[in-house]
Order: sequence, then structure tokens, then C-alpha cells
Amino acid sequence: MKASSDRSGAALSLARNAAARDRRVITLLEGLRTLGRLGFAAGLALTVGRMIEAGTLEAGALFAALASMGLGAAAGWLSGRRTARAEAFVADVILSKAEAALAEMPVRDLGARPRGRLVAALQRQPQDLARLVVSHACARQTMSVGPLLAAAAVAAVSWEAACVLLLATPLMIVFFALVGGAIQERADAREASLGRLAAQFADRVRALPTILANHALASEASKLEERIGAYARGTMSVLSIAFLNSGILDFFSSLSIAVLAVFLGLGHLGLLDIPGFDHLALWQSLYILVVAAEYFAPFRRYAELYHAKSQGAAAAAALDEILFAPAARRVAGPLAPVDPERLAASLPKTGLVAITGPSGAGKTTLLRRLAGVDGAAPAGLGAAARPSWIATDSYMPAGSLADALAWKVGGAGRSNTAVAVSAVAEQLGLLDDALLPGGMDAAIAPGGENLSGGQRVRLAVARMLLANGPAFCDEPTAKLDAGNAARVRRALAAAALTRLVVVATHDEALVALAVRRIDLGAPHSLKEPAAA
Amino acid sequence: MSTIVDTARDAGDARRDTVMRDDPPRRGSAGLWRLALALAALSLTAAILLTSVSVWFLGAVALAGAGSAAIGFDFHTPGALVRLFALTRTAAKYGERLSGHAAALTDQVALRLTIFEAMAAAPSTTSAGWQLSREERLADWLDDVEDRDDERLRVVFPAATLSLGLVLLAIATAVVAAAAAPAILLLAAAGLLLMRHSMRRIGAAETAARAARRKGSAGLGAALQALVPLAAEGLRRSETAAALDHFRNVQSLQRDQAEALAAIDVAAGLFGPLAVTAVMLAAWQAGARGDALLPAAFVGFGWLALGEAAGVVSKIVLGRVKAVRARAGLAVWTDPDERRAAVSPVLAGRVTAVSLVGLGLQAPGGRAFCRRLDATFLVGRPTALVGVSGSGKTTLLKTIAGWLAPAGGTIHVDGEAANPAARQGLVHLCLHDAAILSDTVRANLFAGGASDAEIAAALAFVELGERVAAGGGLDAWVTQDRLSLGEAQRLNLARAFLTTAPVILLDEPMEHLDPAQAVRILARLRRHAEDRVLVYSAHRPPLAGDAVLSL
Repeated sequence: MKASSDRSGAALSLARNAAARDRRVITLLEGLRTLGRLGFAAGLALTVGRMIEAGTLEAGALFAALASMGLGAAAGWLSGRRTARAEAFVADVILSKAEAALAEMPVRDLGARPRGRLVAALQRQPQDLARLVVSHACARQTMSVGPLLAAAAVAAVSWEAACVLLLATPLMIVFFALVGGAIQERADAREASLGRLAAQFADRVRALPTILANHALASEASKLEERIGAYARGTMSVLSIAFLNSGILDFFSSLSIAVLAVFLGLGHLGLLDIPGFDHLALWQSLYILVVAAEYFAPFRRYAELYHAKSQGAAAAAALDEILFAPAARRVAGPLAPVDPERLAASLPKTGLVAITGPSGAGKTTLLRRLAGVDGAAPAGLGAAARPSWIATDSYMPAGSLADALAWKVGGAGRSNTAVAVSAVAEQLGLLDDALLPGGMDAAIAPGGENLSGGQRVRLAVARMLLANGPAFCDEPTAKLDAGNAARVRRALAAAALTRLVVVATHDEALVALAVRRIDLGAPHSLKEPAAA
Repeated sequence: MSTIVDTARDAGDARRDTVMRDDPPRRGSAGLWRLALALAALSLTAAILLTSVSVWFLGAVALAGAGSAAIGFDFHTPGALVRLFALTRTAAKYGERLSGHAAALTDQVALRLTIFEAMAAAPSTTSAGWQLSREERLADWLDDVEDRDDERLRVVFPAATLSLGLVLLAIATAVVAAAAAPAILLLAAAGLLLMRHSMRRIGAAETAARAARRKGSAGLGAALQALVPLAAEGLRRSETAAALDHFRNVQSLQRDQAEALAAIDVAAGLFGPLAVTAVMLAAWQAGARGDALLPAAFVGFGWLALGEAAGVVSKIVLGRVKAVRARAGLAVWTDPDERRAAVSPVLAGRVTAVSLVGLGLQAPGGRAFCRRLDATFLVGRPTALVGVSGSGKTTLLKTIAGWLAPAGGTIHVDGEAANPAARQGLVHLCLHDAAILSDTVRANLFAGGASDAEIAAALAFVELGERVAAGGGLDAWVTQDRLSLGEAQRLNLARAFLTTAPVILLDEPMEHLDPAQAVRILARLRRHAEDRVLVYSAHRPPLAGDAVLSL
């Protein structure tokens, strides 16, 4: 995981580039928002200070304060919206890149990647990454601008007070550095600890049927309690250091207000002769007080986003590892036992062609090459109309049986009308199947999860009858009972009257229907195709 | 949406009644929660008072400094108070975070165990293919668990402390600037209405996003599983794209949510400034001048401080929306009507015959298989179940094991009808999709009473002895993805060698093994378990000499 993130960081740089323009706009809007808040602070301090001290209501200052607040709020709203949109945009860019990878990566390479993790990653990690490059990155930029704006605003009234704020910052940074090592450690530890906690829990949930089958529920539950309890205690001990991070910010922001209030108060009383703190008007000291709080706000906002950073980094690493990184080693497919190009050129336009041979001889490999699964389809095959693939892993769209049969078939000269669809369902015995009750309305779960391998094959054959391209069938009769195997053989033979049907099979009864047999013989030995 | 909430509440109550009745860790967290809540209230109060007292102090000294009272002014008390509030705020906040997280973590342990046990008792665990063994489903589900875990910390506490601040300041406002109180309450009510409205919008988006995420996962999982057929038919690009479109939909729904939350943030940010303005103007309008304005400034700047703390309301809204749906999602597992007794511990002892008497089978989906079965499995005479895919081999094994209800007929053990609970205790079921736990090799064998020698013998039977020794021995950590399918299957079979159950049912024991090895291992198991009733299902030809039941 480390290696791939070090090497490429493809996901992260892609996301950063996609976010670059929005990030500038958002930082600008955040700056405007800070200015609005500072303006309000000035107007409010002036109004309240004059009210109390001079007994006058400065309507102009009040209006300026409210107007400035409104502008700040508008800038904040725009910034929030822009952030939301920018994150959606970045996540979309990542998804598009993923889409391209899913569509173009060699089938063998993609098939070798962990499917569950890939789906889980695409489900949520583009958003995590987007948060890192938009929200988190903008909060960091704002942290370098916002406090300076606040300090400058204080300096307009008392540069000495501004100096106090600026001087507090290095002190705060020293504290951060002192705790920083521990914080980094705890962030890692917390991540690891919570990850492990979740991992043990998730692992036992995943394995629950196995645990039940082995009568181990009681022992596993007590083990789980002990383990997640231990992890929780470990997490707590690192959190106690972790919260020092926010604690330091709270401490400085609270104490700076307290200290400034006391100093400014003493200045008002004339008990203190510090330039910048004595002979101020009340509104000026109120102003300093309110703006001092503003000075620390960007630090706190940034600190709140700490988990966005670790999540985003994890997302970038995961996306790189499972999708964007090239295969660790080239997943070289086994060589086809015969040259598919030459074989394809010699195949008839219609008729049943059987590829036979013992297990491991390369029947499926050859079939995949002919169908263009691995590499381009050989010239002359599959170009005219969409080919069909018939196997126990054939794809089943969710919905009713009728939907699944009519899905993306019905080419020129063929029909996917209700009549035609029921006819093929009838032909393959799908309607009187006790295991698939409901006739044409029988429910098909996503991915055909509720179907047996044999049902998938029959459904795929029925769909093939509705289409008109060539058919490639991998062991179409292997998992069927005698009656259904005969149905499938009849259907394949009928289809072969009008198109090319290539079957890889052990079934001699099916081979007997073939116009040509390609016997691959013993495993790994290369033989010329022999005409049947 | 109300149905979802109700379901969640009902299920929550049911869980408390049935599962949480003896739940010591949860009681242990109650004190921590109270402490955390008290500290949260203290911290917010100190934050408000810090600002209020500072402003009041500055106003008072400014007026005193201008007059002759400067010398006699007691600045020590307010100065000390201000410092006290500053430190209290910091310390209470730190304490609140610590105790709140300690309480949340304590609950997390208890809650997760409760959920785990509830899931173990839920029927879907033993009926269909275990959906949560799939990574993307598990990820969704864990999100729900986390959203539930976080609810108190993210939703209940901030809402409670903010309400407390609101009430206290409203009372103070009524005292010092009565005219401002209705305006501020109106403002707060408008804010709450906006929040409610947004919550509905954000909630609807959340419901839709959950559905879209699930559809996308299912679609993408199915497309990746059927990669070869789709590639052959030229549909690979369009199908993966269609699945990703669901994820795009999720992203756009999340963008809508984020925009609504940004609007809440802005509204919350306006509250403090408007409130302080209202209080000052009301006091001014009421004729207060000079000293008499100080209480109004005190309260007004308190509102300003509360407004700063109100920045968390958008998080409250989102946390609440997620927690409501998470509870509804998790309630599926704790539906009291669907519970069944937990699988009983294995009983040793002897069984000489298991008979099926007119047994009808029904698959987990409810569909019944046509045939009624009559058969007897005898000790010392292993039986192979054969039949094409979908003929009910796994269903029969799970029915005998007491995991699925039959569609009529009975199962006899030693001539007497045995109910599912009794059979559960007699049977070791070796699932064809058994999982490897992330744990030691020893823990994976579930053989608490077995000696190292017995375990070594079992591993030798399944031809894993060398592999385990090379991997660091019995106490080395294994995970599912570090074993090949064949190794996982053999480790699973080693469990059957070590079980003490008198009836051993194996579902596709030869799957993922090369044929010669499968025959060797099965033959050994047959010898090893000749004093048990042994039934296995097989696609390949069964071992010579075994009885055959064809489905």
C-alpha cells in the first residue's frame, strides 16, 4: 500500500488538480467572510462602546455592522455552496477515471483485483478524497490568511495589542510542536486502533455463520468483548493526549481574551501605562476583545478537520492500490492452445462448433479469445451483431424474468415482444421451473443471486435465442439435469441453423450435434484444429 | 419517514427488553455520560460568561475611569473571574471530550456485542448466503453501526447544552431588556423551523443516497462478477458505467445535503450578531444609558458567545438524520418476531441413525422443492448427496442441521423425532463457504478441548501440517485473504476432524481441492469419523462404497 502511494499518488494528484480552481475561489470567499466578520466586530464595538461611554446611538456604525455581517454571511454561504459543489466535482472526476479504468483494464487484470474492496472503495472513497483536497486544503489556506487579517484589524486600533496576539502565536506553535509528536502518534494509533476495533468486529460479523456452525458463539462473543474492550481502552489513552491539541487552542483563545480584558481594563482605570493599552476608548477595547477571538477561529476550524486528512489520505492510497495502480505483475493470460485468428478465419458462418478436450486443455481460454474477452475479437467474429456468452456466470439484470430475458436483446430481424420472450422462456423450461415460481414475473435478484448455475445457463440460452449474434458457450450443459440438458442442446442446435454457435464442452451428446469438432487433446500440448 | 422512525424506536425498545436486560457496560457508562453532560454545560456557561463578564468589566472600568471612582474600583474580582472562566472553559471542554468519548467507547463495546448477539439470533444468518460476508455490504452496515455509536456525542449533547444556554440567556434577556426577548425567541423559532425543514430535505436525500449506494454496489458487484460474459457481449462499459451512475447520484445527493447544511451554518452564524443587536437596541429604547446599559451588554455579548457555539447545529442535523436511518437499518436484526433460540452448544454422545421421514424442503426464499424425501443415514456408513446445481443439497444439509425449517415431514434421530434445537446440538455443519476468522490458527479450529497433538493430527489429515508450521505454528495469525481457496477449504475440513459432534454434515467438501487430494482427505475423514453419522454433498463422483442419495 505504501509503495503504491509513494510511487504514483495518481488519485491524489488528479483530485488536487481538479480542485485547484475552486480552492482559490473558496479561499477568497473565506477571506471575504472573515472581513465581513471583522467589519461587524468593528461596527458592533463602536455602537456599543459609544452607547455606554458617550450616550449616543451611532446608527451609521450599526448599519455598517449589520451590512458587513450580511456580506460576511453571503460570502460564507457562497463558500459553503462552492465547497459542496467542488467536492462533488472532484469526486465525479475520480469516478470518471475509475469508470475508464473499469472499462479499459484487461479483463484478467481487473478480475484479479479484490472485488468487494473495489466496490466498497468506489462507494465512498472518492468523497473522502474530495474532502481532503477541498475542505481540508481550504481550511489550511484560510488558517494562514485569516489570523493575519484579524491581527491587521487589531493593529488598526492598537498595534501593540496586535503584537501581543502575534507573539502568542509562536508560543502556541511551540506548544503544538511539543504535543505535535504525540498528536501525530495518537492520530496514527487512533486510526490503527479504531481500524482494528472495527476490523475485529467486522471480521466476526462476516464469519458469523461459520461461528454458529462450529458452536462457537459464546466463546467468540466473549473474545470479541475482551478485544474491542481492550482496543477501546487503548483508544482512550491516546485520545487523552489527542485532545490536548484542541485544549491548547481553547487555552490560548480563552486566555488571550482574559488577559486582554484585564490589561485593557487596567488601562481604562489609568492604573497601567502600557502604550496601546491605555487611553483607549471603550469601543476600541471592545473591538480588540471581539477580534482577538476571531484571530483564533481559523485554527480551530482547521483542527476540527483533522480526521478529514487521515480519511482522505487513506482513500487516496486505497484508490491507487486497488484501481489506478497497474497490476503488480502482468497478469499474463495462458496462451491459447491454437491461434485464434487462424481458427476464426476457418470457422463457418453458421453451425455448431465444439471445442473439446480434457480439463486444463485450454477450452475456456480459446473460447474467451474467440469471443474477444481477452484482447480484440478475431476478425470476422462478433463484428456484425452482438455476440452472446452462455455460462453459469452469465450476467443477469435484476427485475422480473421477462425483464431479464428481454434485456438488451432483439437485434435486427429479431423480436423481444412479450410473445417472443414467453416463447423462449417456454422453450428452455423456465416457466414450469418449480425452483423459479412466478412465471414471467418471477423475481430475479441483482446479479441473479437467487438463481442456480443451471438456471443462469438456461436463461442465457433463452436470451441468445432472442438475439442474433454468434454464441459462445462455456460448458452449457454441465450443471443441468438430463431434461434441461436436452432442452439446451435442442436450442443450441436450432440457433446454429442461422448463426455460429461455439461450445466448449465435455458433453458428447452436444458434440454429436456439431458440424465441426476442435479437439485440444492433452493439457498444454498444441494441436492443429482437426475437422470433425 | 415517520414509519422508519417508529420502526427504529420499536426495535430499539424491543432490543432493550430482550437483549439489553443485563448489560453491565451500559450501566457503567451512565455516570460518565452524566459527567460529560455536566462538563459540557459548564464549559458552555464559562464560555458565555467569559465574554459577558469581560465586556461588562470593560464597560464598567471605562465609565469608572472617566469619573472619580477609578481609584476605588475593585478590578481584582472581575479580573480573577475572567481568568477563572477562561481556565474553566478550557478545562471543562477537555474533561467533556474525555468523559464523553470514554462513555461513547464504553457504549460502543456494549452496543456492538448486543448487535453481534442479535445478529447471531436472527434467522437470515443461517438461512441464505450471508450477505455481510461481502465487503461492500459490510461497509454499509458498519457505517450504520458507527452512526449509531456517535449519536449521543454528536447530536444529543450539543443539542442539550445549546438549549440550556438558550433558555438561560432568554431568561436573562427578559430581565434586562424585555423588549428584545420576543424578537430573539422569534429568531430562534425561525432558526428551528429552518432546521426542521432542512432536516426533512437532508433526510430525504439521505434515504435516497442510501438506496442509490446500495443499487450501485449491487450493480457494480454483479458487473464485476460477470466481467467475462459482459466483455464477450460488448456490454462491459455500459454496465459498469450504469453502476457508477448510481454512485454519481449519491454524490449529487450529498452535494444537496452539503448545500443545505451550509445554509444552516450561515443562519446559525447570523443568530448571535442579531441577538446582541436586538438586546442593545431594546435596552437603549427602554431608556437605559451609561451604567444602566452594562447588564444589557452583559447579556447581549452572551448571545454572541452562544452564537459562536451554535456553529455545530449543522452537525447536529446531519448526525440526527444519519442516526435515525442507521437505527432503522440495524433494527432489521433485532426484530423480536423473527428471533430464534441461539444455537445450542454441541452435545457429545452417540447417534446411530438420522432418518428423513417424508421430509419436504424449502429454500430460504420460501420456494418449496417438489419431492418428499425418505432416507436413513447410518453411523459408519457415509452418505453422499448428489444432484445438479439447485437441487437442494445445501438446503437439505441445513435443514438436518436445524438451520432451516422443513416444508413438512420430520427428522428422526435414533428413531425419535428431534426438533431443530436438539438437532443443532448434535450436528457439526461444515459450510461450503465457511469463513476463516482473522485470528490464530488454533482459534480458527474451534477446538477448545483438543490437545496440540490432536490439532497437529487434524492438520496432517487435511495436509496443512507443513503449511501451518512454515507460517509460524498454531498461534500464528491467519486471515482469509492470506490463504488460497484450497487452503481455506482444508482448514475448514480440519474443523470437522476436531469436532465432537455425533453427526457431521459436509457441504461440498471437495470444492476448491484437486480431485486426488479431495479423495485422500475425504477418505481419511471417513475413517476418522466411522463412529459418527457422516453426510456430504458432492458435484464430483462420490467415494466408492458410500451410500448415495440422489436429489
